[in-house]
Amino acid sequence: MVNPVLLIAVPLGLAFMVPLIDSASRKLTRFVPVAALLFNLILCIRLIPAVLENPIVINLGGFTPPFGINLFVGPLGLLFAGLISLAGLVVSIYSLSYIKNGPVVKYHMLYMLLLTGATGVVLTGDLFNLFVFFEILCISSYALVAYHGDRAGIESSIKYLIQGTVGSGLLLIGIGFIYGIFGTLNMADIAMKIATVEQSTLFVPMILMVAGLGVESAIFPLNAWLPDAHSSAPSSISAILSGIAIEVGLYAVARIVFTVFGISDIYLFFAFLGILTLLIGEMCAFAQSNIKRMLAYSSIGQIGLILFALALATNNTVTGGLFQLVNHTFSKGLLFLSAGYMIYRSGSMEISSLNGMGKRMPLTSLAFTVGAFSLVGLPPFAGFPGKFLIVSGALLKGEMVINILVGLVLLSTVIEGTYFFRVIQALYFKDGNGEQRKQAPATAVTAMIALMILIVALGVYPKFLADFLSSASSDLLDKMSYVGSVLK
Amino acid sequence: MSFLQNNIYYIGAFGLIMIGLLTVLVKHNLIKVIIGLSIMDTGINLFLIAIGYLRNGTAPIFSSPEVESILMVDPVPQALVLTAIVIGVAVLALALSLAIRLYKHFGTLDLHKIKELKW
Repeated sequence: MVNPVLLIAVPLGLAFMVPLIDSASRKLTRFVPVAALLFNLILCIRLIPAVLENPIVINLGGFTPPFGINLFVGPLGLLFAGLISLAGLVVSIYSLSYIKNGPVVKYHMLYMLLLTGATGVVLTGDLFNLFVFFEILCISSYALVAYHGDRAGIESSIKYLIQGTVGSGLLLIGIGFIYGIFGTLNMADIAMKIATVEQSTLFVPMILMVAGLGVESAIFPLNAWLPDAHSSAPSSISAILSGIAIEVGLYAVARIVFTVFGISDIYLFFAFLGILTLLIGEMCAFAQSNIKRMLAYSSIGQIGLILFALALATNNTVTGGLFQLVNHTFSKGLLFLSAGYMIYRSGSMEISSLNGMGKRMPLTSLAFTVGAFSLVGLPPFAGFPGKFLIVSGALLKGEMVINILVGLVLLSTVIEGTYFFRVIQALYFKDGNGEQRKQAPATAVTAMIALMILIVALGVYPKFLADFLSSASSDLLDKMSYVGSVLK
Repeated sequence: MSFLQNNIYYIGAFGLIMIGLLTVLVKHNLIKVIIGLSIMDTGINLFLIAIGYLRNGTAPIFSSPEVESILMVDPVPQALVLTAIVIGVAVLALALSLAIRLYKHFGTLDLHKIKELKW
């Protein structure tokens, strides 16, 4: 069996090799992320059968848990690791031609560090280790947001940095409290001992940790940085920030709330928070005239929907939430990637400047349309089974409060449909200034076609993924088997 | 009085964290905000150290046979703080370099005058 540590070690090592490779051969630099992420993707696929049988627990340095640091590769962690490598691979193929100007070497280095941090967060079984990987993720994304070095980029990067640093500070205080109470940092060990202390003492550390992670995952009152950062970053980075970074933050919140603390009284609060995030995000997106800000606000809305689905904590809704998460990674990635070249071609981020793009860039416009339809949840795209599972699973709970919240979910889908169809109308049914046809470069087209095929394939045959997601959801909810497999 | 004596490190640590947070929230100058972040980091590090600290404790090294493990200071928080300091330095360096670029673009560090992006 291959060792899952390589999922973290290979991109991390290659990230610091990038300057050396660049001094040896300038042309090779761009292909380093592609190679590293392809390796990760193949490794993830090879690990699937073993992980479905039994979660793999790796003790780093040979210390048995609860001592030392361990990696926990369960279905959920592997799902995220695979998603990170797949989305990272597609976006790195896209950036082969998209990233031409500026400090290219630093871009590829930071890009790989960002993905290393994300992979580390989803695989680690140790709270402080989670914090460290989280900081790797955050610091590289602060720097990448400012990649262009223009006014908007620097300003939003500073905003993101200040809010993110305060957030990680809160997370660290929470971890300090937990260590003070339990004397251990191993997540499984804490999860086992959580019942031995009074619930009221756990309140402060839990709120601190959720607030700290909530900044990165853009849960409602903490999401002021997101629209600025996502809209002023390069489009390839926006795709990764929207598709990977905030979802990894959400994974960390879910892991801590469900597996480590597992206090079910608070789940309804998270469901309300999710709905609030969903409505605020979608309504703000509706009001935008800048396409990248619109997509950024729509990401906030989707995060709210996924949080709502996870907070209902039944197998059906969590499976649906994870399905929606996979769909969001693919379709928001596709939307940002296609919007990137449309903006490049029209020279403006205003939606009105995209008039008539359907004739000038047919394939890119088609990619945008597929992404938008999938995000709204139309069949036969990947968004449909996700939303269907969430809504049907929530209605199965049969509680009045949840039914009202489901009504709000459907309402927000209508809002979402409205603003996406407005853009699609501009693309196809409005006349622009008649320029000649010019497609995006071949690498960008390859990336977009790959994502389109994935979205349609998942929409037509959802069972392919749903079975795996179902075991991932029991990985998240079944606290006892998590504890049992780490502390044998 | 004994409450103060027993918890003086925690009080100091949270005092620093609050001072840092307040600086981040109310100051308009970017450099002062970054200093606030740094003070907050220091407070957090002090808090982590205080968790594992033992009055009259010894270093967690078995240097001679008569050293008892019950008197040792917990080494784990110190390892954590070492990592946290390094991370703090990296964030601070990035923040300051961004502040330099911000000043080049806007000619000011006053955060109230830099308001191009909004809701």
